Amino acid sequence: MTDLADQHLSIPPPALADPRPRVAATLADDAQLIAACRRGEARAMEMLYHQYKRRVFGMSHRIVGGSDAEEVAQEVFVRVFRGLANFRGDSALSTWIYRLTVNAALSHLAKRGRRMEISDDALADVPAPPVTERDPALASRIEAALAKLPAGYRAILVLHDVEGLSHEECAAILGCRVGTCKSQLHKARARMRELLDGAGPGGVA
Amino acid sequence: MKCEQIQRELTAYLEGELEGARGSHVRGHLRGCESCRAVASSEAAVRDGLRSLPPVDPPPSLWSGIQAQLATAEVADAQRPAWRRAFARWAPAFAPFGRFAIGGLVAAGVVAVVWWRSDRTAEPVVAMRPAQVTPPTPVPTSPPGEDVTADLAAEAAANTAAYAKSADELLAIAHEVRAGWPAERQASFDSNVAALQRAVSGAAEGRPRQKALRALIRYLDRAAARDEVALAGGLGQ
Repeated sequence: MTDLADQHLSIPPPALADPRPRVAATLADDAQLIAACRRGEARAMEMLYHQYKRRVFGMSHRIVGGSDAEEVAQEVFVRVFRGLANFRGDSALSTWIYRLTVNAALSHLAKRGRRMEISDDALADVPAPPVTERDPALASRIEAALAKLPAGYRAILVLHDVEGLSHEECAAILGCRVGTCKSQLHKARARMRELLDGAGPGGVA
Repeated sequence: MKCEQIQRELTAYLEGELEGARGSHVRGHLRGCESCRAVASSEAAVRDGLRSLPPVDPPPSLWSGIQAQLATAEVADAQRPAWRRAFARWAPAFAPFGRFAIGGLVAAGVVAVVWWRSDRTAEPVVAMRPAQVTPPTPVPTSPPGEDVTADLAAEAAANTAAYAKSADELLAIAHEVRAGWPAERQASFDSNVAALQRAVSGAAEGRPRQKALRALIRYLDRAAARDEVALAGGLGQ
């Protein structure tokens, strides 16, 4: 019984809550901001930029890599500001911007015609201790492993795990079913584990 | 096998999506299975690692780059011809009608196929004696835009009636020439016609009955034609 009690502590618990604070813009806030941006008000445009810059740039950075992230993020914001006149509000503003970002990033990769080049050295430099929550190098190893994943897996991991979006939001952004989104997340995490443990075919050990 | 099933559910479990018995089942398995516990811990570490990645700050040049691109685009807009500006302004307004346009095209395709098929089935099949045999009357079809499906049943019945009328007329002609045939040929003819007529009465309404009627018409047509050829060539039986 004591063993079982000890094991209780080692069982990873389900996620309790979204740890990343989300910008909780209400629909009314969005509508006011959109209306002001449509009128070309510089202050409103700058507000919208600051509200979304980290999410757009962060997603671009993690999907296409650091060297092209600024180019992609710039393209996304230009599309946002020029497309706001035709934004009908069928989805939340954030969903629309995420969708533009994912599409721009994935089509940028497709145009580039190759997957982002991350040399294995980037991973080899990082010592490979067992994956634990106290691993001090985990963040950089995760970034490096993320960069080695296929673009579709990167997109779902960034949307769901990094940005903390729900499966429903991810499905709306990626244009797929919720079930597909869940299975993609499962496969993407399994691939990440393989890369981090060095156990899979693309292992880093 | 059980471990595979549990590991397939681990992502849902770690997301807190498994409630009640299913969650309890996974938890119970994890308590007793070290390898699955290791997989769960590893996936949880990946999840937590991804969640705790620091936000990436964009460089200050991003905003100035966006402003410069927007300015360039606005200058280009102003230099575009008036008709293109008008098109760009109105084009999005028509976007919601795109699906109706596609629906209209599909409906037009269906109407075209229905017309084509009805034309084919209404083709006169009796060519031997056009002066004596009334060809099937073409059935009027609905003009485009109306509900053609409502007319389909009536149209099929009318086509069947036209075939039956042609068969009756052809049978009357065949009986006239039959009188000059030897008894053996008459018996064979009568037996064949009776079999074909049974097939007609036994066939289901619509296309099956039309098919049976076409078979009867073809037989009567050939029988009469053979007789004419025999008379013209003096090749009596």
